Amino acid sequence: MIVQTALLIGLVLFSVLAILLRDLLKSAISLAAASLFLGIIFFRMNAPYAGVFEISVVAGLITVLFILTIALTKAGDEVRESRVVNWVFPLFFIAFIIIDALVMKGLLRKIPALASGAETGTFGDVLWKGRTFDLVGQIAVILAGVFAVLALFRKGDKHD
Amino acid sequence: MIILFVALPLVVAGILPLVGKVSRRVVPDLLANAALLFLLVYAAITGRHLIAGGPVLQQLSWFGEPVAIRLALDGFSLLMLLAIALVGLAACLFSIDYMEHYGAKANYYALFLVMIAGMNGLVLATDLFNVYLFMEVAAVASYALVAFGLGRDELEAAFKYLLLSVVATAFILISVAVIFGMTGSLDFAAVAKALQELNAGAAVGVASAFFLMGFGLKAALIPFHAWLPDAHPSAPAPISAVLSGLLIKVSGVYAMTRIFLNVFGLTPALSTVLMSLGALSMVVAAFLALGQKDMKRMLAYSSISQVGYVVLGIGIGTPLGIAGGLFHLFNHALAKGLLFLTSGSVQQATGTRDLDEMGGLAKRMPITAATNLVGALSIAGVPPLNGFWSKLIIIIALVQSGHPVFAVIAVLTSVLTLWYYLLMQRKAFFGKLNEKWAAVKEAPFWMTAATVFLALLCVGIGILFSSTVTTWIQPAADVLADGVHAVIGSWGF
Repeated sequence: MIVQTALLIGLVLFSVLAILLRDLLKSAISLAAASLFLGIIFFRMNAPYAGVFEISVVAGLITVLFILTIALTKAGDEVRESRVVNWVFPLFFIAFIIIDALVMKGLLRKIPALASGAETGTFGDVLWKGRTFDLVGQIAVILAGVFAVLALFRKGDKHD
Repeated sequence: MIILFVALPLVVAGILPLVGKVSRRVVPDLLANAALLFLLVYAAITGRHLIAGGPVLQQLSWFGEPVAIRLALDGFSLLMLLAIALVGLAACLFSIDYMEHYGAKANYYALFLVMIAGMNGLVLATDLFNVYLFMEVAAVASYALVAFGLGRDELEAAFKYLLLSVVATAFILISVAVIFGMTGSLDFAAVAKALQELNAGAAVGVASAFFLMGFGLKAALIPFHAWLPDAHPSAPAPISAVLSGLLIKVSGVYAMTRIFLNVFGLTPALSTVLMSLGALSMVVAAFLALGQKDMKRMLAYSSISQVGYVVLGIGIGTPLGIAGGLFHLFNHALAKGLLFLTSGSVQQATGTRDLDEMGGLAKRMPITAATNLVGALSIAGVPPLNGFWSKLIIIIALVQSGHPVFAVIAVLTSVLTLWYYLLMQRKAFFGKLNEKWAAVKEAPFWMTAATVFLALLCVGIGILFSSTVTTWIQPAADVLADGVHAVIGSWGF
């Protein structure tokens, strides 16, 4: 229970930091840390596939992409952190923890125990046999993303 | 083969950018419009025969092996598919001329079709997570489409829309997780059955609250509406038409109604919440619309107000109320689609959206002025147009179910709606022609054709309202009025 709580607090802490920090590099690293915590939580909750993906893709791959992009574009100036971070962050964090604890305390006894067990079947089974329609949706999301990049970063070919 | 509603637009979207390398205009125009025309014909002609014997359930197979793609088509989803195809086709026809000066037309059509595929997928989904996923498909495509003009306003509006939309989907996802945790399933039928057996009022209450916030944001109900008046006016006109006419209804109203009525079952408390939210949106947004000078912004506020009518009607929970709500949803999709298209014609001709700068445009753009008038009067609820009948049904249902106060509010809001629409019509089209617009010409052929198509539908449905209600609206309302039994009995795979 204590480990779980610590992990959850770490997750929220780094997530909020990722939003509030102005230095993009620090922000990206905070996001990676948050994702690492989430990955560990997934492992502890018997969802190893989700954990592996979270840590390898979100904490690993995407962070590398972020840092590469920042390295390529950064002007090299020192970024001054906003003062807001100093007082809003602790305030927000405490308020969140209190509200979260109250809601969860109220809910915990009322939600019946988890009806489903841990992930059943292998990853391939779940993905290919259980959730095939989601794959169609995922393909569509990827298509939308690619077309969005093509459209939004198009050359100024207006009036061509 | 109801999977075609999802697969066809996706496949055409996939090849469009490649085709765009060869032909920049004609072939993409042709392909996109042909795909939507096919979907319209398929929904309008084949759809009704398909569901004649009850809902159609399709389990796809791949080389004889069943795969986990399960779709369901019933009266409610068919009505939505028809609305999507109609407004989608009109917006796509309009784009032929309108999107000419934006460039990258093939990419535009590709995004447009992905958005249509997302909406169709959501409507056919039989599972909570599929609903979430296809909502995201349509949403991701729509962010890019809102920003398509690449101007500062467009980018800012798209970003704001993206952020609030992400909050909405986060709420929806939390709720899906709560439901999955309780029932161990995501399938509509299984969840509905499990919830009947479980005695978990509090947890269902929490899930409903999260869904309400998520879908409320998507449907832009007040107080969750802040993003819509920025996002919808900034988008290119055909996209505004699809966003306001379809997307808020499919990813907001449809998803919310399907889950609340067919999966959770409408409780008296939920009914009161829905009706109150609906009435609040209806009134507040109508007042906000009255104060607008930007033509498209006024239309955007009007959308929030009219979605309020839809939610109010469905929230009553009686068969007549649901039928009225759904009929208004359909009518508003057509009329608001039409109005955003005409506003696009005006904006392209004059370069402005400011109503105070316009004036007398009816002399220069008679067809646009006439079609705009049809759309405006339809939404305001003037007989014999389609909007009149749907509002009338909602008001009768309110009185019948013992909610006379809501009925009076609905009537008064309708007067307010007529007021701001007449104000718009007078400022933009009537009166003396502003000299600045002496050289303005009627919109190009396809733009005019698209608006005439929708205007004729508004008039035609108004005249033939009783057959429209019996063929399209009643089957949809029956599904919702059946409550959880509509899903538990006949949706099991």
